[in-house]
Amino acid sequence: MRIRSPSLFRRYPIPAFIILLLLAGLILISLRIKERKGVAFFDALLMEIYSPFQKGATSVSRSIGGVLQRVVSLTQVQQENEKLKHRIAELQNENHQMKEMALANERLRNLLQFRQQMVTSMMGAEVIGQDPSPWFKSVTIDKGEKQGLRKGMAVISPEGVVGQILKTSPDYATVLLITDYNSAIDAIVQRTRAKGIVEGKEENRCQLKYLLRTEDVEPGDVVITSGMDGKFPKGLMVGEIQKVDKRHFGVFQYAELVPKVDLARLEEVFVITEFSIPTPLPQEDKGIKARKPTGGSPKKR
Amino acid sequence: MKRTVFLLLMVLVFLTLQTTLLTVAPIQRVRPDLLFILTVYFGFSTSTVSGGLLAFFMGYLLDLFSGNVFGLYALTRPLIFFTTRLFKREFYWEGFSFQLLFVFIVAMLEGLLLFVLLVGLSPGPLRNLFPAMLTTLLPQSLCTALITPPLFFLLRKGAHFLRVKHRRTIRGEG
Repeated sequence: MRIRSPSLFRRYPIPAFIILLLLAGLILISLRIKERKGVAFFDALLMEIYSPFQKGATSVSRSIGGVLQRVVSLTQVQQENEKLKHRIAELQNENHQMKEMALANERLRNLLQFRQQMVTSMMGAEVIGQDPSPWFKSVTIDKGEKQGLRKGMAVISPEGVVGQILKTSPDYATVLLITDYNSAIDAIVQRTRAKGIVEGKEENRCQLKYLLRTEDVEPGDVVITSGMDGKFPKGLMVGEIQKVDKRHFGVFQYAELVPKVDLARLEEVFVITEFSIPTPLPQEDKGIKARKPTGGSPKKR
Repeated sequence: MKRTVFLLLMVLVFLTLQTTLLTVAPIQRVRPDLLFILTVYFGFSTSTVSGGLLAFFMGYLLDLFSGNVFGLYALTRPLIFFTTRLFKREFYWEGFSFQLLFVFIVAMLEGLLLFVLLVGLSPGPLRNLFPAMLTTLLPQSLCTALITPPLFFLLRKGAHFLRVKHRRTIRGEG
């Protein structure tokens, strides 16, 4: 049988080029789904070449924004100063009470031999770019594989959970935010210990799914990480429940929550590169096996 | 060659703007998609081969810097480019109203295509994505369409300036 494709390409160069380019797009989708290494290498290479521009532009925009903000805020400083003085007094009092509670808590923990997951190693990183697409929610940070970052590692800020690492290059990484549709984190409601999965929703919102209908959940409840997914240490703040949807049917109820972190104004984040998980107590050994984290490197305490 | 390098640089500048300066906008998610406008502009003003390759490259970059795990833009952006080329001779593309309407319609169609692909390729149901059709896609497409006429005007002025400069250089050498 004669192969006709070369002559076809010569006869119809433009349609053949169009078909080839669209095929390349389809092949790329297939390679990304299969997570082939060739694509990852090319991604990392392009990221390395382009990200310095992004970093430069971010620092320029931040410095311009910072100057403007300072000018505007000077007028409000005096009033705010007065308010803050009052607030400091209140907080000092509150802090004292908290310290007392923490000491009491520590004593009780020791009594119960309670062991908690703890973050042992974190890496600070600067956000240098936002997601260019309105459909997806991610940020680019200025740390990568050279600094020990790997896909799946947890990313947090002082206020709470930010997301997890999606792609890495030697010096940069992309972080998938908790508000993205593809994001899923194992979580619990702090007050009632009800379990669920936090998934991204439209705009700056998340949804707590697979929450049993029988569980007591109310607006205002705080949601924290459960530590069950092995990526996030237990007890990190995720957000606050805003709305509860208890449908008339089904096994589950749904809750909408607002992330504690203002993801639209992220500037610095921390990547958890290592955290410890509790070794099971002697009586736990019989039934439950400890889960190994897939994100940061685990350490047994 | 010089022109392609210039266009490539323009792609990088537009992507940088889209991922940095434009994110300062009050409504974070609704910001003009500059690379989309550039793809349509290339559809009207460049050749099929160089424009097609640039559209593919733009899609690839978008996939790279977004939380998109499937790499859908590398498929949709060349599609938009070729669709634009289909309409190039049918309409007077330098008219503001046509630019606005065309970009709005194509942006909506791309959004729908992305939505279908995302739902089709995701292993789990993406019910969370449905409200985004109204809250994100519509205002985003409108915002992109509104910014298109002034941006097209600037791009055309820039291209004209470069052409004149190029001619002068040739005459000077001659």
